[in-house]
Amino acid sequence: MAGSIVEGRKVGENRTLTPEFCIIGSGAGGGVCALKLAEAGFDVLVLEEGGNVPEGQGHGGTSHRRPSFTEREFDMYKTLYQEGAARLTSDGGVKVMQGRCLGGGTTVNWSACLPPRTETIEHWRNHFGLHFTPDNLRPYLLEVVNFLHIHRNDRYNSSAQALIRGCTALGYHWGNLPNNTHNCRECGSCGVGCPYDRKQSGIVTWLPAAVARGATIYTDTKVDRLVRDGERPPEVHAAFVDEKTQATGRTLIVKPRLGVVLAAGAVGTPSILLRSNINPNKLVGRRTHIHPVTICIGRYPERTHPAYGVPDNMMSTQFASGPVGYLIETGSFFPVLNAAASLDYGPELHRVMREYYPFGAIMYAHHCSGFDPKQDYGTVKLDKYKDPELEYRLAPDNARAMKHSLVEMTKIHLAAGAKSVYHVTNPSIEIKSVAELGKLDDISFEPQRATVFTVHVMGGCPMGAAEKQSVVATDFSLRETPNVWVADGSIFPTGLGANPQVTIYALALRAARFICEKHGKPFTLNHQQPGELPWDF
Amino acid sequence: MGFLVPFFNFFINPKKVIQIDESKLKHLNEKSAHILFALAEAVIGEEFRVKVPKFVEMIDDYLGYQRRSQREALNQGLLIVESTIVTLVFGRRLRGFSHLSLPDRRRVLENMRQSRVQQFRNLYAAAVNISASAYFASEATWAEIMYAGVSVDHPEILTGPPPPVRWRPNDTRPVEP
Repeated sequence: MAGSIVEGRKVGENRTLTPEFCIIGSGAGGGVCALKLAEAGFDVLVLEEGGNVPEGQGHGGTSHRRPSFTEREFDMYKTLYQEGAARLTSDGGVKVMQGRCLGGGTTVNWSACLPPRTETIEHWRNHFGLHFTPDNLRPYLLEVVNFLHIHRNDRYNSSAQALIRGCTALGYHWGNLPNNTHNCRECGSCGVGCPYDRKQSGIVTWLPAAVARGATIYTDTKVDRLVRDGERPPEVHAAFVDEKTQATGRTLIVKPRLGVVLAAGAVGTPSILLRSNINPNKLVGRRTHIHPVTICIGRYPERTHPAYGVPDNMMSTQFASGPVGYLIETGSFFPVLNAAASLDYGPELHRVMREYYPFGAIMYAHHCSGFDPKQDYGTVKLDKYKDPELEYRLAPDNARAMKHSLVEMTKIHLAAGAKSVYHVTNPSIEIKSVAELGKLDDISFEPQRATVFTVHVMGGCPMGAAEKQSVVATDFSLRETPNVWVADGSIFPTGLGANPQVTIYALALRAARFICEKHGKPFTLNHQQPGELPWDF
Repeated sequence: MGFLVPFFNFFINPKKVIQIDESKLKHLNEKSAHILFALAEAVIGEEFRVKVPKFVEMIDDYLGYQRRSQREALNQGLLIVESTIVTLVFGRRLRGFSHLSLPDRRRVLENMRQSRVQQFRNLYAAAVNISASAYFASEATWAEIMYAGVSVDHPEILTGPPPPVRWRPNDTRPVEP
């Protein structure tokens, strides 16, 4: 029998539920586990803090399938992202953009699909005892590729074309970045929710399939804590919240009969454990990693229509290897995103928006981090109201790499024909020729000296073979806490060096397999049609 | 930075240049709303109130999505900006920020922007971020930057030609290196 989606904000009484499994979070990890556990015949309940995004006829024509996805940036950032897309590290230095809605990050990412870097999983094998290899990950990756229609879409927007031109001129690598879309409408709005259901996010794939197999999803349900009870699965105590995550006054207590799967993401999962006083090896929340992102915008002679087209299907891996390597990608960019990145005001802000927005192409670099054992990187803590807060310190080698990426992206823009390149620094820097690259020498990444953001948060509950040096064991079980598993990006012991959604999907499939096997239930991969993966891996 | 509030908190009442119905605000109060408006006007310019007439209500609603401690930090930061110590140090004026002329407010902003004290740079960045986001979210500003709008409101965007691709239709598609 099919399950259902219950909107917690509309629940008028306190509830107690007793599913077999309670999955906390409906993003990449939670969606996968929901489907695979439901498929195995378990009674599954998924709790999602964010709101539902129901299907229906939108106002944008018959192909508009999600009325709540209006593409209006301000409204969408407000409702679909954590803290209204204004989550910051505690010193204000890094903007942290994370989804907070049904489907989590899968609903708001730009559809970029990459496998884990081979050198990262080798590092995990050598330093943390994680036995992931290209061979043993391949069936899981194939499952994800086939189920999510990950493919190479080679219709490139103006930013992607600029990257191709510039890299070609400089002799740098460029190549297609596969996407999980199907008949993409090229509206450019992946980052604010695909209104046409063309992006194969969790709300189109894992979650409806899980509901069809009997899973129940509660949205608007914020988990406060787990309450341990000896060897039994812990109770999950949650509050129903409104669209602003303010408690409605009604509560939910879940008494899972078999277990809990934590999949609330690399800030959410550690914060739930910290509120629950569950802290294996005192490592929960520590060594949280981000991919710090630098941006620069080129101004081209012709109009670029930067908002439209496929956002993120082009990359350069020219500088992607090594512990602080960076991937250069492109995107679609919209007025609010552009304005919010700027640190200018007054007439200069207007000039930049007038000159750069209509003629702009954007490049940004995701920097790998987390490989230096001497650095602390990030720590998830609780603020005075027990809400999560991420303390993060950029490592010196990351700062050097970030300066390098700004120089290289500037060179690429100029080689592609940009008349000038704008840097979101304080004060802003404009470069019109290679001879002016020295202007970037003194860039500082202290808070508000340059705009730095991230859309990839990882770690905080690191997986490892060493019992005393990890939070999660290699079978995805939470240490010191029976019947709890973790299946999200928080298990990464370092940054990944690639957009993480595909890796989270693949690892969550493995987690689901361990859970099924522990309980003697079948686990199958159903989309193993032979075919090439869309990447070299 | 909240611990600084009592120290700075001998500001005069902010200048009231717009009508604010405090009973409709949940997260700002009348004082902080006036200060925020004065800041936004300094960031954007005097046309701000015309293009984003519901700015205060919009930001008050937006703050509801923030962490409680972030909301508190913003309200405390606004009070600090209004204080005469800040306007004296950063603007050489002994009046509350909201009472300053536009050029004087911009001088305060510029000095906050350049401050060695990270918290003042954070306040500057918050002011720019909030104001610029709200301003460019307004459809009334889109002509200025030649933005055509979103596809659900303008489906013709999706039926128009895609951005020109230099190798089409005459060139063969480039081969990835």
